[in-house]
Amino acid sequence: MKFFDRLEKIDRRIIFFLVGLAVIIPLIIPLGLPVDITGPVQDVFDRVEELPEGSIVVVSCDYDPGSEAELSPATAAFLEHCFRKNLRVYMMGLWPAGPELGNLALESIAPTYGKVYGVDYINIGYRPGGPVMLVSLGRDFTDLVRADYAGVPIDSFPLGRAVKSARDIDLVMTLSAGDPGVLHWIIYFSARYGTEIATATTAIMAPQQYPYLSSGQLIGLLGGLKGAAEYETLVDKKARAVAGMDSQSIVHLLLVVFIVIGNIILLYQKRRK
Amino acid sequence: MKQTIPLIIVFTFGFFVIIAFFIPLRVFQDASQTFETWYTGVIAFFVFIGIFNIIKVNVNKIQRKLSDWQYSIILLFFLAFMMGAGFIGGPEGGVFDYLFEHMQIPLGATMFSLLAFFVASAAFRAFRARTPEATLLLIAAVIVMIGRVPIGYYIWKGFPNLVEWIMSVPNTAAKRGILFGADLGLISMALRVLLGIERSYMGGGRE
Amino acid sequence: MLLILLVFANQVELKAFDTPNDGGSSITLEWHPDTLFNSYVIFRSVDPEGNFEQICELSDRTTYFDTQVVGGEDYYYRVEARGRESAVSSYIVGPVRAFPQIFNTSRINIAVCIVVLFFAIIYYITRARRGQRLFIRKIPGITAVEEAIGRATEMGKPVLYVPGIMDIDEPETIASMSILGRVAEKTAEYGTPLYVPTSKAMVMSMAQQVVKEASIRVGRPDWFNIDNVRYLTDDQFGYVSAVDGIMVREKPATNFYLGKFYAESLILAETGFSTGAIQIAGTALPDQLPFFVAACDYTLLGEELYAASAYLSQEPVQLGSLKGQDVGKLIFVIVVILGVLDRLVGFDILYNLFNTAQQ
Repeated sequence: MKFFDRLEKIDRRIIFFLVGLAVIIPLIIPLGLPVDITGPVQDVFDRVEELPEGSIVVVSCDYDPGSEAELSPATAAFLEHCFRKNLRVYMMGLWPAGPELGNLALESIAPTYGKVYGVDYINIGYRPGGPVMLVSLGRDFTDLVRADYAGVPIDSFPLGRAVKSARDIDLVMTLSAGDPGVLHWIIYFSARYGTEIATATTAIMAPQQYPYLSSGQLIGLLGGLKGAAEYETLVDKKARAVAGMDSQSIVHLLLVVFIVIGNIILLYQKRRK
Repeated sequence: MKQTIPLIIVFTFGFFVIIAFFIPLRVFQDASQTFETWYTGVIAFFVFIGIFNIIKVNVNKIQRKLSDWQYSIILLFFLAFMMGAGFIGGPEGGVFDYLFEHMQIPLGATMFSLLAFFVASAAFRAFRARTPEATLLLIAAVIVMIGRVPIGYYIWKGFPNLVEWIMSVPNTAAKRGILFGADLGLISMALRVLLGIERSYMGGGRE
Repeated sequence: MLLILLVFANQVELKAFDTPNDGGSSITLEWHPDTLFNSYVIFRSVDPEGNFEQICELSDRTTYFDTQVVGGEDYYYRVEARGRESAVSSYIVGPVRAFPQIFNTSRINIAVCIVVLFFAIIYYITRARRGQRLFIRKIPGITAVEEAIGRATEMGKPVLYVPGIMDIDEPETIASMSILGRVAEKTAEYGTPLYVPTSKAMVMSMAQQVVKEASIRVGRPDWFNIDNVRYLTDDQFGYVSAVDGIMVREKPATNFYLGKFYAESLILAETGFSTGAIQIAGTALPDQLPFFVAACDYTLLGEELYAASAYLSQEPVQLGSLKGQDVGKLIFVIVVILGVLDRLVGFDILYNLFNTAQQ
């Protein structure tokens, strides 16, 4: 049974190679697996549906290029929904690169709905200071936000003038890849000012959000690329996330196969002893 | 004396911010906000210290021809190039934007995607049913992995619901337990720091 | 007659009062909603007979916080409900004035928790000061620290200490700096090189100070090399690739990952595993714990990270604070059990007390 001993000491690169194949092949030959909708994603969608026209939604891009692949599809799908419902989008970011990444989606989607910068949407850019800044921001936007992303005075935009404190905001959507992020929005914004918070997080962070979902501190959750794929399905705009689902399915299956093989090796080792 | 002044600052400001959390009077809120703004200012200043450190360490490496010193030249070149692109064209400028979109984003995503490979090798090595608890963990992990992706739904329609149950009941209970303990530990450490019992974080020794 | 009844039925009932638990800077308005109307216009005046100025127009809301008021001055309000074809106004309500509250009563629950924990900790610190021996359970990850440093020394290889990717406003980073002090003492004593790459410049400054002081404390100031404690980059994955580079090139025999980590945890730990290092990790974030548990030799779970420095110091006063923390935990567990019973029975006393969402 040298086979199992060899398998136990298998070169990691063979595993990596198989994972690579499992990612690439379904991207080239799509399987078209159906995407089911989970409760936390449906909750976000329903809340946006309920908001009356003109409501202000803060879209906080709290991520960077590292998690762009996972969170940009969620950003795009959510913005699509907001503009379709004629909500006003107030974009910002707690991470330096976040608003820049969000802006790519904003600038590509907003014109398709005929939205006007400063009236229907605005990007106030990166806001440094993390939790400390969030506390101050909720209390008084006008004190901290003097200019938009491009340095134009915020007062020169109708939407800039409309947001004075947390109480003017109807919903916060934080696209969060870590700290500062969703946890700080909950602790320093929602708990203090009662603002509703929805989130899209990386898949790694998603399990961590369930205690806040069950306590009602989060109204909904888009977990990882799967969450984004569900949202794309809900808004009927299938794009990058849905396309990635086949790969993700096959990789997960492959992981299960690895785990099973690992356990067969364990059984063999136990018997031999 | 070198430690007494920082300790007094930690004690005074720390307790003030805690008290201000409970007292909504404007004077307390304004003062608290001012301290918070100071912190933001200090953070901004440290960006320069960081850059200075990178330059100093790498110039030193090049001068003394330490191992792999050639890479330091590349690092310093790109540091200057990216800064120059930002200063000349602004953050919205063509070159800076191009470098950000076509270099930094793909490089970041590449490192992040290493996770997929490392998860596979770690799962192969570590996910073994050595004890009854590990077996339970293993079964839950397999269900979640299959049920979280469309193929799970394709295999059995009940998978996503089972996953939601695992996530919102046993997972939430465990997370709460860990968070609860961690947060109490945090408060306890905060008290040790505020009272000056714990000083090793500022280079200090015994009480 | 029917028309008059309709008007009465549609009458907007307005309530205006000082916003509770604030610094005296706002007045809360609440009115009864009516589905027949699609918007509400709020008017304000300083004189009931005077000119009412429109302050805002809202839809789908039945509360408004007027933050544009001067504390201590009298204000009068009325709300006009506007439909497609008709509009109905409320009575004028007032005078109402905003005044500051000295204590935020909605946070009394948090105050109680802090005070209870504070006294539990102080009590045990006092007992420890009097010389009473306190039993603290053994934490394998912490007891392995010395052994791990010893191994690096025997192999003649460096020790790598990664303090997480967050700044010093994160408690995990402060905890990490405290442990770094103890680790630096040991490495300096043995003369083993210690690398501390950081992702934040402020953490670098702090770490340099901590390591330098530790070397002085054990009488080895010559051992301290400032370039070994350096800043790499703020970028999460840029930092990870740089640290991975250090691991692959320098092949440290011991890796510590103590602080706040995110997606990089497994990338670091797997790279460390592939270089054959003994690895000790610790973080308070439950998301990342499974990765560390899978790829490291020892993992400090949640509170153990915060306790590590106190434990390593073996100072009675520090150990006393851990004991106090445990007693605090016991009290809170009892409160949780009572809270569950309270909710099941339907009294909701504890539930209402701990429901912290601010009014």
